Amino acid sequence: MASETRVSVPIRQAAGPEGKYASARMKFYIDVKRCIECGGCEVACKNENNVPPGIARIRVVTINEGEQGETNVAVPCMHCSKAPCVAVCPVDALFHRPDGIVALNKETCIGCGYCLYACPFGAPQFPKGAPFGARGVMDKCTYCAGGPEVPLSERERRLYGSNRIAEGKLPMCASVCATKALVAGDAEEVANVVRMRMAARGAGGGAWGWESAYGKGN
Amino acid sequence: MTNHQNDIRNSRSIMIIGMNPAENHPISMQHILTAKETNRAVIISVDPRFTKTSAFANKYVRIRSGTDVAFIYGLVNIILANGWEDKKFIQERTYAFDEFKAEIAKYDPKTVSDITGVAVADLNWVARAMAENRPGTVIWAMGGTQHSHGTGIVRTYCHLQMVLGNIGKPGGGCDVFRGHDSIQGVTDIGGGPETLPGYYGIGERAWKHWSAVWDVPYDWLLARFKNKEMMEKPGFTVARWYEGVLMDPKDLGQDVPIKAVMFWGHSTNSMQQMDRVKKALEKVELIVDVDPYVTNTAVLPDRSDGIYVLPAASNYEQWNSSVNTNRDNQYRQRVVSPVWEARTDLAIMVDLAERLGFRKQFVSNNKGGWRGIPADVKNVKEFSEQTMNDVLREINVGALSIGYNGHTPERLKRQQEWAHVFDIKTKKAVGGPVNGEQWGLPWPCWSDTHPGTPILYRNDVPVSEGGCGFRANWGPKAPDGRTLLAANGSAPPDGPATGYPAQKDYATDLSQAAIKEALKEGRSPYGNGRARFNSWNIPDPLPIHREPIHSPRPDLIVKWPTYDDAKEHYRVPQPYKSMQKPDWVKQYPIILTTGRVVEYEGGAAGERSTSWLVELNPEMYVEIHPKLANDHGIRHGDWVWVETPEDMDGQPSKIKVKAKVTKRVGPDTVFLPFHWGGVFEGKSLAGKYPEGTAPLTTGESANTVTTYGYDRLTQMQETKTSLCRIKKA
Repeated sequence: MASETRVSVPIRQAAGPEGKYASARMKFYIDVKRCIECGGCEVACKNENNVPPGIARIRVVTINEGEQGETNVAVPCMHCSKAPCVAVCPVDALFHRPDGIVALNKETCIGCGYCLYACPFGAPQFPKGAPFGARGVMDKCTYCAGGPEVPLSERERRLYGSNRIAEGKLPMCASVCATKALVAGDAEEVANVVRMRMAARGAGGGAWGWESAYGKGN
Repeated sequence: MTNHQNDIRNSRSIMIIGMNPAENHPISMQHILTAKETNRAVIISVDPRFTKTSAFANKYVRIRSGTDVAFIYGLVNIILANGWEDKKFIQERTYAFDEFKAEIAKYDPKTVSDITGVAVADLNWVARAMAENRPGTVIWAMGGTQHSHGTGIVRTYCHLQMVLGNIGKPGGGCDVFRGHDSIQGVTDIGGGPETLPGYYGIGERAWKHWSAVWDVPYDWLLARFKNKEMMEKPGFTVARWYEGVLMDPKDLGQDVPIKAVMFWGHSTNSMQQMDRVKKALEKVELIVDVDPYVTNTAVLPDRSDGIYVLPAASNYEQWNSSVNTNRDNQYRQRVVSPVWEARTDLAIMVDLAERLGFRKQFVSNNKGGWRGIPADVKNVKEFSEQTMNDVLREINVGALSIGYNGHTPERLKRQQEWAHVFDIKTKKAVGGPVNGEQWGLPWPCWSDTHPGTPILYRNDVPVSEGGCGFRANWGPKAPDGRTLLAANGSAPPDGPATGYPAQKDYATDLSQAAIKEALKEGRSPYGNGRARFNSWNIPDPLPIHREPIHSPRPDLIVKWPTYDDAKEHYRVPQPYKSMQKPDWVKQYPIILTTGRVVEYEGGAAGERSTSWLVELNPEMYVEIHPKLANDHGIRHGDWVWVETPEDMDGQPSKIKVKAKVTKRVGPDTVFLPFHWGGVFEGKSLAGKYPEGTAPLTTGESANTVTTYGYDRLTQMQETKTSLCRIKKA
């Protein structure tokens, strides 16, 4: 870790349970009633962070493709509060920032792959192409917050990609989301967005004729 | 579109027919899904494919490709039988409803069900949903237009909305989504071969109007043509230009064949009968392709000379304004100067005009011409922002017919600076120097203080706030003597409370005194007329169902025949019945339809050169239903041949593609995305790209196998319905 490392952490604006100046807790929320699998998040992430082919820091998964009940969900690193990857990492290369972002130190990582098996979302990525699937150092979604380097330095950019959080911006994937299915920000704000949507939708999406849609109740 | 995408937030029902916005207009889904969530709007998806959009619908209706007229008429039949029509709207604002009603009687639900494949219960469900949830919008795109009777299909969508009274209201509308960047603007400035900018046509009056705008003598323009007849005769369309190269000139509407072709931001793999396009590209003397990428055009023909590729700047490398599907005019800043050897479109055009000897006339207009162009343009890559603004000012001066005079560069630029003050639902500015303006000043925008018209034909707000009636474009009376002016009491407020004809000379009076006069009296300059059910001046005055040329139903071809052959249409003969073989279905039993995918756009030379997009959708494929695949011994991922019947060439066409086995399509239909190029009938053309310019993925073009079939009015290609057979390669 470079000696001048400073982590720039967003501060929660409104008073919350942890007090007015508690650090924000950054979260993603993926609204499966809105994700249309346009792939905008995947492409924007790769462009923003210069991610090589074969590595997907975020990917959109579709179930029941082409059938009733077709549903899409974008899957980045969920930056879990009790992150299994942090728990299993034998060299503490994975750690929580004060704002809840699960960060990675690529120089400490030994590429053992424990995190891959611990993660329920498939977030940890390993370079492919080497014989026998040699893992190499892990790569994952940084929440567009770079890594433990001087923020916005060339070295940070090369190792981790962009640091939009240090610039006061949200992750690129959420910024470009066509339908606002992917919501990012302080957990309180994200929860407010979700709460408002749920209130508007009511049960089963609430739309006219829902009870007979596709010939089934819901 | 009559309304705008944000306005869909006001809709209570949304019928999406022949359209897949989740892939082709992803941003619009934000508004569609918001309507679903906040209004409980019912979403109905009508499509031969269960698309990504269908996944969000409350009701999915699988329809046989090309039977939309029958489907919509079936709905109207049910609506009229139940008395759900908007009688006041029909009486006050439409023309020839009685004849329309008589035609509708032929389309009882059972007949419609037989034609379309849609169950009667589903027809009833959809009709009731649209009737009970007003206002509602109907959204369509190429799935409606790309048929041999596409004009009829599109008109019936509008007629459904007229019957339901869903026009001229927030949340209603006939909302065709335009596809490409600024394609609405291209239409407005006369990209078609039948009109000058602003839909003036190409008659003498139109030429004289524009010669005054351009400050170029009419006689000089006339002298550029062989004669006056050719000057006023519509040219070839993009759909069938190649026949102008291939056909014997005695069959053409001109005495010489086409000798040169210039592509300007258009691909060849999006053109139907691409095997025929290839032949034309091999015969024509000169090919010029203006594009940021080396496209399919450059590698398709087997020829070693006569192809010139001019590198064009992207939209990020030039100042410009663009018009989106909402009719919104938006200002765009240049981000960087054109990189490497690229030049802006305007620099290429002016250079070309200079070399052809008419630069002076090309850059002139009655306001002093375009400023900021250097004397020598040969090595100039771009002009100043002022030059681009002067081009827009010229459109402001001339395109009065549809109210293009209000969006000056200054207003557009100011809107860009104040973008944050516009409301997301109404698109109206609240406060600041743009207070009350509509975002993008959607046309008609009648003056430099008019806010623009976000919702067309809205007669509950004054003209000064964006109200208007139907355009009184066909005079006050129809040929049958009935009035074409709106009924008493039906007019935008603050003006005469009745129908009225268009203001005399409003479209050609360059002083704009006629427009000002109308506005002063609270009248819409283009009048307050009626929407026509019967359009007496085009083929099929009342739209009727016609089977596609490649119909799988020989019995219905007899009952609902295609058109008689047309001798000359856009300078080429356009056969219908003589090109149809009713027993094709015996050899080619599967319906073939084509379309787009979200990763790519059009010919996709740029997108297929972008690693991240190619990673998401790497290979050309054909979608096949599991049953159809299993019946043919085809597994997911197998190579298959897709083969279609002979067309103009008299021989069948085939392509070799990978099988994607999916229930998106029904067991009677296969689907091909049309974005790929660089492989022709199993042979790779990748080696023909200049070094370093080949896209990252090449593949067969769907349009190698699309067959003959063109709309009777617009000559739009029938790429949505054909017949094919498949076999494992």
